[in-house]
Amino acid sequence: MLRYLNRLQQRDLSLTTSMIPLGSCTMKLNATSEMIPVTWPGFAALHPFVPADQRRGYDRLFATLEAWLCDLTGFAACSLQPNAGSQGEFTGLLVIRAWHRANGQEQRDVCLIPGSAHGTNPASAMMAGMQVVVVRCDDDGNIDLGDLRAKAAQHADRLAALMVTYPSTHGVFEEGIRDICDAVHEHGGQVYLDGANLNALVGLSSPGFLGADVCHLNLHKTFCIPHGGGGPGMGPICVAAHLAPFLPGHPLVATGGDKAIGPVSAAPWGSPAILPISWAYVRMMGREGLREATEVAILNANYVARRLHGHYDVLYKGPEGFVAHECILDTRPFKASAGIEAVDIAKRLMDYGFHAPTMSFPVAGTLMVEPTESEAKEELDRFCDAMIAIRDEIRAVEEGRLPKGDNPLEQAPHTAAAVTADTWDRAYTRDQAAFPAAWTRDHKYWPPVSRVNDLHGDRNLVCTCPPIEAWAE
Amino acid sequence: MTAFPRTDDFVSRHLGPRRAQYGEMLGLLGLDSLGDLVARAMPARILSGRELGLDHAHGEQQVLEELASIAAENRVWRSYLGLGYHGTRTPPVILRNVLENPGWYTQYTPYQAEISQGRMEALLTFQTMVLDLTGLEIANASLLDEATAAAEAMALAHRVAKGKDRGRFLVSDACHPQTIEVVRTRAEPLGFEVAVGPVADFAFDDEVFGCLVQYPDTHCRVADLRGLCERAHAAGALVACAADPLALVLLEAPGRLGADIVVGNTQRFGVPMGLGGPHAAYMATRDEYKRQIPGRIIGVSVDADGRPALRLSLQTREQHIRREKATSNICTAQVLLAIMASMYAVWHGPEGLRAIAERIRGQVGALGEALRRLGWRSEEEAFFDGLELSGGPLDQAEVRRRAEAKEINLRYLARARCRSTSTRPSRTATSPTSTRSSAATRPTSTSPPRPAASGPCRPGWPARTRSSRTRCSTGTAARPRCCATSTGCSRGTSA
Repeated sequence: MLRYLNRLQQRDLSLTTSMIPLGSCTMKLNATSEMIPVTWPGFAALHPFVPADQRRGYDRLFATLEAWLCDLTGFAACSLQPNAGSQGEFTGLLVIRAWHRANGQEQRDVCLIPGSAHGTNPASAMMAGMQVVVVRCDDDGNIDLGDLRAKAAQHADRLAALMVTYPSTHGVFEEGIRDICDAVHEHGGQVYLDGANLNALVGLSSPGFLGADVCHLNLHKTFCIPHGGGGPGMGPICVAAHLAPFLPGHPLVATGGDKAIGPVSAAPWGSPAILPISWAYVRMMGREGLREATEVAILNANYVARRLHGHYDVLYKGPEGFVAHECILDTRPFKASAGIEAVDIAKRLMDYGFHAPTMSFPVAGTLMVEPTESEAKEELDRFCDAMIAIRDEIRAVEEGRLPKGDNPLEQAPHTAAAVTADTWDRAYTRDQAAFPAAWTRDHKYWPPVSRVNDLHGDRNLVCTCPPIEAWAE
Repeated sequence: MTAFPRTDDFVSRHLGPRRAQYGEMLGLLGLDSLGDLVARAMPARILSGRELGLDHAHGEQQVLEELASIAAENRVWRSYLGLGYHGTRTPPVILRNVLENPGWYTQYTPYQAEISQGRMEALLTFQTMVLDLTGLEIANASLLDEATAAAEAMALAHRVAKGKDRGRFLVSDACHPQTIEVVRTRAEPLGFEVAVGPVADFAFDDEVFGCLVQYPDTHCRVADLRGLCERAHAAGALVACAADPLALVLLEAPGRLGADIVVGNTQRFGVPMGLGGPHAAYMATRDEYKRQIPGRIIGVSVDADGRPALRLSLQTREQHIRREKATSNICTAQVLLAIMASMYAVWHGPEGLRAIAERIRGQVGALGEALRRLGWRSEEEAFFDGLELSGGPLDQAEVRRRAEAKEINLRYLARARCRSTSTRPSRTATSPTSTRSSAATRPTSTSPPRPAASGPCRPGWPARTRSSRTRCSTGTAARPRCCATSTGCSRGTSA
């Protein structure tokens, strides 16, 4: 069993291999000391509905963590119940809805969402019974304030909320955020701030200060809960005082506000077993450390952006030429110049031992890099060196030194089986395929399969283990 | 200041660049200080200028000690509370090499298929296991919890039921209470009417798009779903069923009894209870609804060399592409916990799972028999892992007192006949001396046992190498000997 588990593990690239520069996902350090308490029986072995006097430790953990998260967000109250960022969005909108209803404003059901929003935003709004109205973004990726004002005014009677991500999904601190919040409030709406990018705010600003009424926090991004390969996560929400009475309740355990909306998760505090991770992080960083983490996250992103300057265009920057905690690399021109797309760069990075940045979000055909504060300068340099070397490979295709199609980008990733096969009839060398950078000779991650055919899989849908024969060589 | 400052500073370990390198990095940007950077990158208007109220940093060792003291304030009793959560043994090989292993917990969602083959193989096993247990045709790679999975099942039923005007969803009053309430929360903004009542009273008409039942139900009863499914289908409605996967090792699969959607919590497949999570819920449904199922699905494709390779299937369903047309906002799910559950099944194998399930049922059966001899009544003819008891020689307060003296949690029902319940909190209040009020909710018949799940499907997947040492899943991690039936289990689970 141990060998089987280890074999599977070695097929995956995790943070134990290299940096995972996924924009908007905040793949920062998940320190072992933060993880250790998770499996202590004192946290792990409690049934969710034990009598209250058996969970006094948890109650202390919840109370302190809630207070800290309120301090960090500039809000008055917190619910730990939502189990993911998307659930936080849904919960926050339900709380806003309940507040409108309590004020006799049941007709307020319009939710303004910028075109740059993450796809979960409109989905959550739909689930909360709201009608989505899309607000335009300008050429710099910022919310078009004129369009926002017009739409807020147009729907003034029905305006329920604006959902806005800050810093924006484009990785920019928008100048006008406070005006945006004011405009929504003027027309009777509430502001939901999507905390996906809170990593760039902690200790320097806060959703409450910016004028929002509710936000969620992805504890699995900003507060160090590991991503687990696609969960668990947690998406608690913090709210301003006027929304506190509506925080979600639970049928079996007293929690939430005195006019609580119904539960949004099976368990009253979502996933308590992983809260010690965020608790430990905040405690070990302290107020100065958290602020420094934000500053270094911004430093690292700008360092990467600057090192890649001249090789790739950074799509959006603030007025003084700086990005926030992530940057979008424009890889769209290579389609015309070399037939190379973002996906080819993403797959080629695997040969260099890296996970790709976020692909095609929020802008199709681009790559979004978020180094986080936890990556060392040496790792950032290695990543930048890889990206620059890939740019040279693209140039070789542009200049005809490598053919279209038969080049290390479009053929990536390269498995050990492919480069050690008896026949090799490609236009580039095996060495170039598998060892494109010096460090790959010291530490090589071998992709276990070559490029996966997406179309074939959807046309011939098989979602169970195939019969043994299928795996035979 | 102290003469001997602590040496377990964490901040410098969390931050990648050394402070001595800031200058060089800032130099590349033409800046002098971090403050300078903030001033140039962030609009002045958004800086709050407020110092956080948090404490200064605590050392790494100091915080571990503090958390240990917090954990010690929690008391770990033996819980037979049921309600969808159960003591379980995490096989040590899974505890240390999956749950506590950064090689498994630090990956991102498998968007880059080529470098995610390991966990996708584990998730494919999860899906295969779910289909095997539920008797259905397509499963996703986990949802957040059983209650939200039930709500997703409701939404799925509404999307696929014939006739767009249908707006009512029937929910059995024998579902777990938290499931019923989460379903209500999710139904209300969508404009669905949720009608909660006994399954026997379900009235299917052309308003009803579906129903939800629990299997075994929250009173530990096992009902035959066939009659219900026939009634529902005749009226054009779907049947969603929340099912305990360990019970399904012995019971007939809901999909074979006619259920259209099956959801549940895989927590008791080796995942610690953790006061409620995280655990992986599952969802399975019929092939014809595969483009409607929420969440992520792992599928088999081929790579450029023509060999089998795994990937996320049917990505076009996801909300990041469909946006306003999205039907679910599910994004992050519970991959790590689904992998644990899947590896639990691999570790025990079909015979091992069957042995665990039979052991539980055998123990509960023996316990029920013994308690009946002592004068207790339990009306279940068909049960899996719990009993609802009434009419015994002790009143509920006395049962509670004795159970608590042994650090045992039982679920005490609110519908108590004895007076003492009035002094108890109503929601989890007592009573082995209570009785279910309605004879109409009596179970029908025991579903026929069926063969256990079939075996691993890939060469090299280990068969169980140890026969008995790790078989018992029926304890809590903290109490290795809790499999004994001598504990006074009134109702609940994992005897």
